[in-house]
Amino acid sequence: MTHAIAIRGLHYRAGRSFEIPNLDLSVPTGSIYGFLGPNGSGKTTTIRLVLGLLRPRAGDIRVLDRPMPHDAPRVLARVGYVPEQPHLDPTLTVREVLRFQGAFYPTWDHAWAEELLVAFDLDEHRLFGKLSKGQKGKVMMLLALAQRPDLLVLDEPTDGLDPVVRRDMLAALLDYVSEHGATVFISSHLVHELERMCDWIGVMDQGRLVTELPMERFKRGIKRLVVSGAPPIGDPTPFSVLSREPNGASSETWLVRGWEPEMQAFFETGGASLQRVIDLDLEEGFVELLRTFRTPRREEVR
Amino acid sequence: MFRVILYAQWKWSRLVVTLGTIAAFILPILSVQGASPLPASPMRAGEILTMVQAWGVLYPVLAAALGLLVAIATWAPDHRGRHVHALSLPLPRWRYVLLRFGAGLVLLAAPALAVLAGAVFATRFAAIPSGLQGYPVALAIRFGVAVLVAYAVFFAVSAGTTRTAGVILAAIGGVVVVQVLAGLANIHLDVLTPLQGALLLWPGPLAIFTGRWMLIDV
Amino acid sequence: MCRRGHLLLIAALAGPTTLAAQHTAEIRARADSLLREWRQASALAAVQDSLRHAADIAGRDTVRAGALTILVNPSPLPVARAAARAWAQIERFYGTAGEALARQPLVLRAIDPDTAAQQNPGGALPVSWDVSDDVLTGLLVSLADLSGADPALHDWLGGALIPSFDTEPRRAQVYVELVTAPSQAVRGCFRGDRLACRDALSLAGTPDMLTRWYGPDERRFLATVEYGAFLNQGARAPEFRSCAGGSDSACLHLLESLPPGSLRRPLSYAARFSLLQTARALGGAETFHRLFSAPPGPMGARLAAAARVSEDSLVARWRADVLAARPTPVPLPPWGVWVALGWAAVFMSCGLGSSRWRVS
Repeated sequence: MTHAIAIRGLHYRAGRSFEIPNLDLSVPTGSIYGFLGPNGSGKTTTIRLVLGLLRPRAGDIRVLDRPMPHDAPRVLARVGYVPEQPHLDPTLTVREVLRFQGAFYPTWDHAWAEELLVAFDLDEHRLFGKLSKGQKGKVMMLLALAQRPDLLVLDEPTDGLDPVVRRDMLAALLDYVSEHGATVFISSHLVHELERMCDWIGVMDQGRLVTELPMERFKRGIKRLVVSGAPPIGDPTPFSVLSREPNGASSETWLVRGWEPEMQAFFETGGASLQRVIDLDLEEGFVELLRTFRTPRREEVR
Repeated sequence: MFRVILYAQWKWSRLVVTLGTIAAFILPILSVQGASPLPASPMRAGEILTMVQAWGVLYPVLAAALGLLVAIATWAPDHRGRHVHALSLPLPRWRYVLLRFGAGLVLLAAPALAVLAGAVFATRFAAIPSGLQGYPVALAIRFGVAVLVAYAVFFAVSAGTTRTAGVILAAIGGVVVVQVLAGLANIHLDVLTPLQGALLLWPGPLAIFTGRWMLIDV
Repeated sequence: MCRRGHLLLIAALAGPTTLAAQHTAEIRARADSLLREWRQASALAAVQDSLRHAADIAGRDTVRAGALTILVNPSPLPVARAAARAWAQIERFYGTAGEALARQPLVLRAIDPDTAAQQNPGGALPVSWDVSDDVLTGLLVSLADLSGADPALHDWLGGALIPSFDTEPRRAQVYVELVTAPSQAVRGCFRGDRLACRDALSLAGTPDMLTRWYGPDERRFLATVEYGAFLNQGARAPEFRSCAGGSDSACLHLLESLPPGSLRRPLSYAARFSLLQTARALGGAETFHRLFSAPPGPMGARLAAAARVSEDSLVARWRADVLAARPTPVPLPPWGVWVALGWAAVFMSCGLGSSRWRVS
């Protein structure tokens, strides 16, 4: 499998307050990779390191198979970036912004930019600084798409936007991806949004990558089990036990990862009884994962 | 790329450039007004020199002001966006900075040409007494070079980070503090005079701003 | 004597009658009394001056450097060092003529700059004792004015004779005067007429300088504008109006009525001093000795004799020196443009180094 973004042993430090000690991250080519994490976890910092806006202390970053930041100009010509905050010249109109951006990208598609302008219902004569938050977000997405990138890096692109705007932006994004097979690296804390579109998920917390795996495995893998007659703590299990909490005197609720249906036999052979298997959605799984990451109660067996 | 950067920079600095161009055109014309209205007045030559010398002080001031304001306007949009957009563009940093510098230079050509136009106009229609002569082209060249130097200085300062600006200010402040402390301690240490000489006398960087900025001179 | 003579004349005019004779005797007695009073007052003033002088120099050190004699109160002021440096400069300028300074001791009073108390220096020249060597040396040199010993030189120069070899700024100023001075003599000098230069520099001392210095337009300007406030009043008002109306003879008469020495000379002190400097350069170290020793006569002849050249050569050399000191106008020297462009490139390259690593 080739990777659009490959990070190995990345070390970054900002003052005394924040550090990414040793990050390994891989974004498969052609995937839509959701980069989840709470506020302050290091998502934006990681994105800036990937794009060469920040200098790492150590580690190797390759984007579209080129080293960063060494080959930044060549790489950035193929990357569409939507930052967390819109950062364009507020004195330019929408039309002037398009003209400005288009001058730097040889792959700029003028016709498609015009289509998106209409699709997003943007007034081309309006000053960028006078646009609403949603309209600015649309302009940023338009700029990123119109240059026909091979990789889209989106840093919380729909944060603070109303559902209609979010829908329009994500629709345009998915249309582009489905037509051109571009890779998307999108960070967000809107878990339900990523759940619908991403096929890979990476979870970041306190500068560390908690987990990175295909979305289906993530969603499938974390379950809540209601168990009666539970075996003692420490007994080996075929799955990862993230936490065990008593439900009164007779049963326990287990939070496990890597659950497969056939593992039900484990409880039967152990004299315990599996009362219920509760599926967690992405948000619940994300919250539980972070909770156990921050305060681990049991060591994982596998 | 250069055209779009030039246009963006024009939007930020059009007021400064427009007003500066008008001032640059008017200044030479004003400098030859006010001398004795009687062409045969015996004092005319002296009055003209006095008037031109008084107005001449404004040329280096205008050059420095234009250089400063256009340099600030050059970097204003990037500073506002914390340089994220500029750094995410697909071109080397040095090339982007060069484009910015060049765009500012193009905008500053207007006031320099305005000085030339105003100076030629003023000397063409002023009655210059014998013994004096007009220097419209020389004045315009000197003004243009002074604007270039001022722009380059402030461009470099504006392009730097806040830390760089802090270092520069700390260095200047340090020199002043050393001089003041030496004076208080009755130590005969003069650092400002040699520093002043190094900056303002040829071949110092600011020597272009000194001298006789006189449109009409001996 | 003069006063007494006046009194006697008044008394003599009183008439030779008996009553007049008695009146004359009274007046004579009164005149004698007044004369005695005046003599006593003069003597008292002289005593006061000498007492003040004695107070000034009492308790002072005497510092000598060559003919330079300085009386100064003890203090940290580096008088000896400054005096040595000053004398070197003075002697280089005046030559042996500088020995005359021995008859003009300088009285200084060194003052503590930190004390808040009012310090009365008396008749001495107050000098703060924290001044640098250079400043004190310059002060001592500026006090070495020998023109007082030569009233004609002093009147011609119109200012102090201060030893100075610094020629360039002064000659540049004189160049501007040659171009701008409102005087036909100066304009002629600028064009190359050496006789006009002699007139402009007041070297000939002839009585008709007003008409040689200034033409009709210039005379009208002087009379109606420069001295207008003084001349347009009283009995001269009608003549003033006539001058303003175009009568050159009226303007001439008005200007001739000005108090002696008040009419502006066409060239300034700087021009005449620069001529002295030219004479010194031509005549060498003993120029001033010869100048002070020369018999009375026109200043041009005296200066030429002191410089050991003809008057025409002296004026020609002076004019050439002034023309060579033309102030640098606005055009940059060819290398100046390259230097400035070089600096612009240096600063631009500093800007090119603007860091990529500025996002935080």
